[in-house]
Amino acid sequence: MANVLLARMGEITLKGLNRGSFEIQLKMNLKYRLKKFGDLKIYQSQSRIWIEPKEEDNPNFQSMAAAEDIMKAVCQVFGIVSVSLARKFEGDFESVKENAFICVDELLARNPDLKTFKVESKRGNKTFPMTSPEICEELGYQILQKYPELTVKVKNPDFILNVEIRESNYIYSGKMMAHRGLPVGTCAKGMLLLSGGIDSPVAGFMMASRGMPLDAVYFHSYPYTSDLAKQKVIDLAKIVSGYSGRMTLHIVNFTQIQLDLYKHSPQDMLTVTMRRVMLQIAERLAQKNDCKCLITGESLGQVASQTMEAIAATNEVVKMPILRPLIGMDKQATCDISRDIGAFETSILPYEDCCTVFVAKHPKTHPHPEDIIEAEKDLDIESLVEAGVLGTEDIVINPFD
Amino acid sequence: MIYFDNSATTFVSEAVRAKMIELTEDPVSANPGALHKLGNKAMETYEGIRRETAGLLGAKPEEIFFTSCATESANTAIKGYMSRNRRAGNAVISTKTEHKATLECLEYLAKQGYEIRYVKAGMDGKPVEASLVEELNKGDVALACFTLVNNETGAVLPFEDISRTIRSVSPSTAIYLDCVQALGKMPIDLSKLGADMCSFSGHKIHSVKGNGVLYIKKGIKVDPLILGGGQQDGMRSGTQSPVLAGAFLAALKEVSEGIEEAREKACEINSYLRKELSERGAKILSPDDALPYVLNVSFQGFESETMLHCLEIYDIYVSTVSACSAKQKKVSYVLLEMGVDRKTAANAVRLSFSRYNTMDEAKEFITHVDEIYDQFLVR
Repeated sequence: MANVLLARMGEITLKGLNRGSFEIQLKMNLKYRLKKFGDLKIYQSQSRIWIEPKEEDNPNFQSMAAAEDIMKAVCQVFGIVSVSLARKFEGDFESVKENAFICVDELLARNPDLKTFKVESKRGNKTFPMTSPEICEELGYQILQKYPELTVKVKNPDFILNVEIRESNYIYSGKMMAHRGLPVGTCAKGMLLLSGGIDSPVAGFMMASRGMPLDAVYFHSYPYTSDLAKQKVIDLAKIVSGYSGRMTLHIVNFTQIQLDLYKHSPQDMLTVTMRRVMLQIAERLAQKNDCKCLITGESLGQVASQTMEAIAATNEVVKMPILRPLIGMDKQATCDISRDIGAFETSILPYEDCCTVFVAKHPKTHPHPEDIIEAEKDLDIESLVEAGVLGTEDIVINPFD
Repeated sequence: MIYFDNSATTFVSEAVRAKMIELTEDPVSANPGALHKLGNKAMETYEGIRRETAGLLGAKPEEIFFTSCATESANTAIKGYMSRNRRAGNAVISTKTEHKATLECLEYLAKQGYEIRYVKAGMDGKPVEASLVEELNKGDVALACFTLVNNETGAVLPFEDISRTIRSVSPSTAIYLDCVQALGKMPIDLSKLGADMCSFSGHKIHSVKGNGVLYIKKGIKVDPLILGGGQQDGMRSGTQSPVLAGAFLAALKEVSEGIEEAREKACEINSYLRKELSERGAKILSPDDALPYVLNVSFQGFESETMLHCLEIYDIYVSTVSACSAKQKKVSYVLLEMGVDRKTAANAVRLSFSRYNTMDEAKEFITHVDEIYDQFLVR
């Protein structure tokens, strides 16, 4: 007898001939993500991935409570739909019964309020002498005998006991839902523009969920923003990398560039000119680091720099595709995802935008192309961009160390 | 490094460190409450420290209680006095420029049903006499809470006048005085001061964090905040720490000497900075007659936190009470109460000195301020 994890695959199973490469990537990602949980055997059969400890006494598999951390880690791996902790054992119906009792004991110990249940079973191993309905019926009866406080309820029971008879037998109850998507590494890398806010980490999470590995770039304006703001961005990068895997965070020293922009472009156009320079620096860094696109957390109409005209004005300075996964999303929906991925509490720490001098009171929300030409006429954009790229500090973010 | 943040905390002095090491050695590290001779020895040491501390403050030993910090002292004094003296009245008077340790206690009392009356503060940060009389005349005032030296501006309370007014208009009102920023910077003689309860902090006078003192004048009844084994005459339970009390005393001894000379030195630094900074367009927010150890300055063109980080580049440390956040600009309530406008208050930085700061540091400070204006001012 041993406890194992049963992880279910989602969208990958719809893939055609290239399905194999997605599955290989998924198993690699799981192996990498679960490194710290001991020596594990990760293998696949049909649309499922089984995760077994090589050593029987691996503490992460001993009980439902002990397995919570490793299950959460599995759920952070894109490509997985859900995961359950299952008891794996051999033998006849007698051993099915014994293991079912152990499982029910544990469930009741964790939640004494459980009152109703049902048994579901699947029999892949046709040499097992009972059919699936017979297993359900007999096991249900045995449970009722042993636990008189429980009753059977077919619709919406408090818990379902799943029995699977395959090469081995498995029993489990309940599952933890994961983030679905495609395994990170099955598409080219993207460069995420990461600020200290709520949106950009969510944007990074969403692109990673489509299989995209990430690098990130942050524009730091010390002393106008504090080092706490920088630490906050590093913390956010770490949270995102829990899903996207190891990333490099490129921290651009933006202070002098910002001062030059402030001195040489009109107040109301500052946001636009600043974002245009930022995107060009980001594109240069993306090219240097083998990224094929930029990713921003822009959402249409949310702030002055995110009107259609302002987006068009910033978009035109780069050739790379800019992916904006939040563009049509409501702020509340973004906040919900932010909470779900554990970034919200960090995002709302108050260190960003410490200095308001660079924020125009009335920024131009609908800039015309001629406004932009006028705003940039006294600026040597190329040397600003070059200075930004050169003044970059790289930090490798490895969430699992 | 230039450390101009001494009102926040100070460096631990050599004498304090040495005293603490001495006191952690056996046998004085026994429990002062123990009945064996090691305990007796520890108690003797502890009581000796208490006597000496009381002596330096002009108090009787039984009027001195060691606490964990000045905030604890304030909580014990304010809440403890009101809980013990329920018939003394239902109102407390104070000002809105008090330290949070006082203001939060008053908030707490307000929730318990007490009436909190705030005396208006003038441009000089001092309570307005007429307003004080008016609030006292409404009657029923059990307690008055004031601060001898304001922590943000250095404004010195004309305590003699205040206590005279209180004693003549409302003789039954007890007075609590926060002496944290005054200790070691001006002479304090509790036997003559006229306050009924005072709080002091160790780490503001070069002791370590974790020790404070509460003075309760003989005859004043206060309920303890912390209950337990009845140590310190039941006023502050918890095993006495000769080490922390000794640290406080060692610090107090040092700062009690040469108060006048140190003050003159601080005056020189303060006047120099006032002059130089004013010439550069900065606005001095500390009153003219403030304690010279604190200088609150509003730097034109720099929000508080930006200036703090600019100075940090040059290894200069100051503080700001106007914390920045994108959504909500938090501005010093003390400055607003004094009538300073929001914009000026948003640029306010507090420089605070100790007796160990020098004129050379002040000059270097000015040099760097010039560099900061050249490099980082956004026009």
